[in-house]
Amino acid sequence: MSKQVPETIKKQVKRSFNSKEVKKEKNEKRVKLLKEIQSKAFKRAEKYEKEYLEQEQKLVELKQKALKEGSFYREPEPKLAFIIRIRGIVGVPPKPRKILQLLRLRRIYSGVFIRLNKSSLRMLHFIDPYVTWGYPDVETVRALIYKRGHARVNHQRKIIDSNEMIYDKLQKYDIVCMEDLVHEIYTVGKNFKHANSFLWAFKLKPPVGGFSTVKKSFVNKGEHGNREQYINTLVKKMI
Amino acid sequence: MTTQQLRPIVSVFPIKGKVKTIKQVPLPSVFSAPIRPDVVRFVHTNMAKNNRQAHAVSTTAGEQTSATSWGTGRAVARIPRVKGSGTGRSGQAAFGNMCRGGRMYAPKKVWRKWHRKINTNQKRYAVCSAIAATAVTPLVMSRGHRVNKLPELPLVVSDQLQSLTKTRQAVKFLKFIGAYRDVEKVIRTKKTRVGQGKYRNRRHVLRKGPMVVYARNLGIKKAFRNIPGVETASVYTLNLLKLAPGSQMGRFIIWTESAFKLLEDIYGSWEKPSKFKSGFYLPRPVMVNTDVERIIKSDQVQTVLRNRRPRSRKYGKKIQRADPYEDMSVMVKLNPYYKTKLQKQKELDEKNKKERKEIVDKSRKEYEDWLYFSEEEEEEEEEGSDEDREIEVLSDEN
Repeated sequence: MSKQVPETIKKQVKRSFNSKEVKKEKNEKRVKLLKEIQSKAFKRAEKYEKEYLEQEQKLVELKQKALKEGSFYREPEPKLAFIIRIRGIVGVPPKPRKILQLLRLRRIYSGVFIRLNKSSLRMLHFIDPYVTWGYPDVETVRALIYKRGHARVNHQRKIIDSNEMIYDKLQKYDIVCMEDLVHEIYTVGKNFKHANSFLWAFKLKPPVGGFSTVKKSFVNKGEHGNREQYINTLVKKMI
Repeated sequence: MTTQQLRPIVSVFPIKGKVKTIKQVPLPSVFSAPIRPDVVRFVHTNMAKNNRQAHAVSTTAGEQTSATSWGTGRAVARIPRVKGSGTGRSGQAAFGNMCRGGRMYAPKKVWRKWHRKINTNQKRYAVCSAIAATAVTPLVMSRGHRVNKLPELPLVVSDQLQSLTKTRQAVKFLKFIGAYRDVEKVIRTKKTRVGQGKYRNRRHVLRKGPMVVYARNLGIKKAFRNIPGVETASVYTLNLLKLAPGSQMGRFIIWTESAFKLLEDIYGSWEKPSKFKSGFYLPRPVMVNTDVERIIKSDQVQTVLRNRRPRSRKYGKKIQRADPYEDMSVMVKLNPYYKTKLQKQKELDEKNKKERKEIVDKSRKEYEDWLYFSEEEEEEEEEGSDEDREIEVLSDEN
């Protein structure tokens, strides 16, 4: 005796938005999209490699040229900084506390990228004793985003495990892959704000080999404050 | 108003002979009243308080002493103590609820509120619910009645039942109709009461058996009076405490035909008010059609719903991912150019290496050449004539 399927279930299947055909169609679309994203990612990564190389070479060129002429080449001021909070949350006065909150540095060894301009430099001035910061290079930015990059998705912190994730959120800013993200952050592009806020604050490990003394500034053989390019070595120890 | 505009038919059975339908009557509207256990419980708990008798503790209990506190300084508690001497009672604590022979805490008073007023409509609502529940077999069974052998529920029986006078006839009828099993249960489970009621003239406890509801008492009351567990009631005065004993709905009721028909008049319907309870209409259910599943699955509802939003499983799972700098497949997924980049880097390194090697080789060769030629020059120096030597000496000096 064959099983009678109730009519309601038959209707439901027919009406279903999760029916096999619909699912198949959706899947095909998605696969196509993923392919697109990956091909874009390839092309853009290639483009950016060239760009970074050119930038470096240009810098060297200009310096050499200036040397030849007997003048100096003044490099452009850095646009990007990476800040790491190196003091805990106990006993922080209200103003620095608020600024650290605004910068998403809510716990020790958390790190964020920040665009450098007059206002942000002023903010950094207030929180100098609680953070160390500097100018990251491409490899540092890359390592951070690839290894420790988490996205803010649905008010949740999710590790970035595919370009699709980036595409979903940042497609409208023409950021579709990891390299796009890295580029936007490193070169502080037009959509730096969106790229940066897409990223959750980086949670770093305490540095291998430790700190000397957080109480003193970097300039005074301590650790806090601006350490310019030495941030890169520090991040390598903390990543 | 209800899904039951068409009222179903109930069979009327005879009281002896063969168990077959002699007549069919429509089901009164009461049986479609909403079954509200919460209302029944509320009304029942309050109604049950109404047959209580006042009791209290004697007003003078524990107070019949002239005890006074001894005060401090006597190494005893400050509780009032019985005055006098010469007896064991003297000096003993008195008056307090903690004292032996003292008055209790908050002595019970006769003017405690023993009875409860319940809104008439609520009472009627509860009764309607309880009556409706007597027609629902699962409820009757869950109340504990043995109703397996009954021909039908609600059980309606010919009016001849009302004219029975002898208990024997009554028992015979119960056996005939299949209700005696419930009576047997009552007889079997008669027990001595647990607790002090047993020596307060409430020695035995019986279960509740079938209830027989009649329109006119022509002997039926006396006929069923002595059968353990069976109660009789007039349809005009149905008592909630009997319809839902212990506020548990689903009493097993045997209706006589005229009693059954009278229910329509006594409780009315949603269109027609009751004839006996002025202004009373049957309570309306909150939901007319309670088959929620069917409503949701119906075409009328389903076609108007928006698309179901897909469960975004990709963001739902906790995704573990390897370190891209250690796992190449993860790196390539994130940056498909990476492999090419490495390759290019490798090629560039090799190219540089090669170039460097060439330069190094070249300069080495040059150095070796220079070394070789200078050796030759030295040799030539030794072999040369005196004439030349002078010149050469000069040139060397230069």
